[in-house]
Amino acid sequence: MNLRVEGVSFRYPSGVLALDGIDLAIPSGQLLAILGENGAGKTTLVKLFNGLLRPSQGKVYIGDWDSAEHTTAALARRVGFLFQNPDDQLFERTLAREVGYGPRNLGASEAEVKRRVARALKLVGLHDMAEAHPYDLPQPQRKLLALAATIAMDTPILVLDEPTIGQDEVGRGAISRILTDLHRMGRTLIMISHDMDFCAEHAQRMLVMLNGKIHVEGTTEDVMGQTKKLDEAEVAPPQLVRLAQALKMPGTPLTVDDFVDEYKQWRKKKKSK
Amino acid sequence: MRGGSIYIERSSGLHWLHPLTKVALTALCFASAAALPGLPWLLALFVGLLLPLAIWGRLTGAFLKACLLVVGPFVLSLTIIQGFFSGGETVLFKLGRFAFTQEGLLAGLTFAARLLVALGGTLLLMQSTPQPHLMQALTERGFPPRIAYVVLTAIQIFPSFQDRAQVIMDAQQARGLELQSGLLNRARLLLPMVGPLILGSVMDVSERAMALEARAFSSPARKTSLNTLADSLLQRAVRWLLALAAAALLLWRLWSALQ
Repeated sequence: MNLRVEGVSFRYPSGVLALDGIDLAIPSGQLLAILGENGAGKTTLVKLFNGLLRPSQGKVYIGDWDSAEHTTAALARRVGFLFQNPDDQLFERTLAREVGYGPRNLGASEAEVKRRVARALKLVGLHDMAEAHPYDLPQPQRKLLALAATIAMDTPILVLDEPTIGQDEVGRGAISRILTDLHRMGRTLIMISHDMDFCAEHAQRMLVMLNGKIHVEGTTEDVMGQTKKLDEAEVAPPQLVRLAQALKMPGTPLTVDDFVDEYKQWRKKKKSK
Repeated sequence: MRGGSIYIERSSGLHWLHPLTKVALTALCFASAAALPGLPWLLALFVGLLLPLAIWGRLTGAFLKACLLVVGPFVLSLTIIQGFFSGGETVLFKLGRFAFTQEGLLAGLTFAARLLVALGGTLLLMQSTPQPHLMQALTERGFPPRIAYVVLTAIQIFPSFQDRAQVIMDAQQARGLELQSGLLNRARLLLPMVGPLILGSVMDVSERAMALEARAFSSPARKTSLNTLADSLLQRAVRWLLALAAAALLLWRLWSALQ
């Protein structure tokens, strides 16, 4: 499902203009990373997608729905939202009940709820602990549980706010695998993250925000190559990109494999000269 | 004003007074509310002392508004109850079998005025004194720091509670929870809202306790305060005078009652 933002501005009651004239189209099935320093407007922007905030000006369309005509609870059928802190939502006695809470709110049948719960818990690797208490899990696993709860909503669009924060390498790997699976299933994925290596590795497209405006956007490779623009937005490219730039290599390698390939070619060319 | 604090930042003489001077003034207000004999005396104290102090503190609007908001409903309910049920000779009007008397009205207004004076003193103290300064003044006079910390935290936790409650509400709405009116619907919202709030707060408490201990909270050494509260001989003398006046008023009231 696609998502369109047309001429959107948002001003908080305090008077702060958090978004200023945003136009954006996210095609169905895309994996988009939204970057920017704190206060750039990233979270404000994504909160418009599920109606937690309403634009002061402009329109947000979720597929063919004008978000202004639907409540947040109704938009929850189309947009799933993973919050930064999992503890802001967990309250049930078991993992299975926690994951099933959203689908029940949407009126799914008990059989459907069970199916979604089993599938979501399996996807995040917590299916063996379905009857455990959520607070018996360590915090990184509670984040995976919150992600399972979001996945079980079965929405075509998923917004993930800092999905890798607080995760060790194992957790990061699990989230990487889950995102790849969801992307393969055709979900539209939008993630906010300061984890540049993770974004560079997974996002197809990037959008960098600065002072409530879109500062630069494009394919991941294209955006990561725009050093000056990224500097202005206080966004540091991943280590690999910076290393390639320091070596004055052509191209923008986003993964270790890319880097190794490009480095070999570059060395070969240099030697042949 | 936000959350548990009603402090209003201003640059005024009242704000610069030592917190204990204002505590002594509040004590005098409470003693006056209990001891002064009638409505004219109470109103005179309000108009002649509290209102000028509010003007001096550049708090007039906020002070009067808060007085009205808190005392207003009491004035209404007390005058109705006392007017109809405390008896008296001078009937002002009748409602069925019940007579509203002038004596009852006066008793209701007097009671409300006592509240106004006591509350007025407290409001001036709270609106012109940051809570940390009040707690610092008390701990410097031997008030246990642990209790001061508990009191301060209890007051200051409201804003973070409000913020967290908003995030939790957002998170549950994003999971399809409809916010509807009605008793049953509100009851349904209770667990998803209160559960994360309580569990999160309990976890915060242990982290906060560890962070405090890591910074030597329970060290027996005398603590150095970054903030020095201005005090003077004149203020100390005024404090004693106010405290003596409050004690004298209460003793006089006790003596009159025993006569």
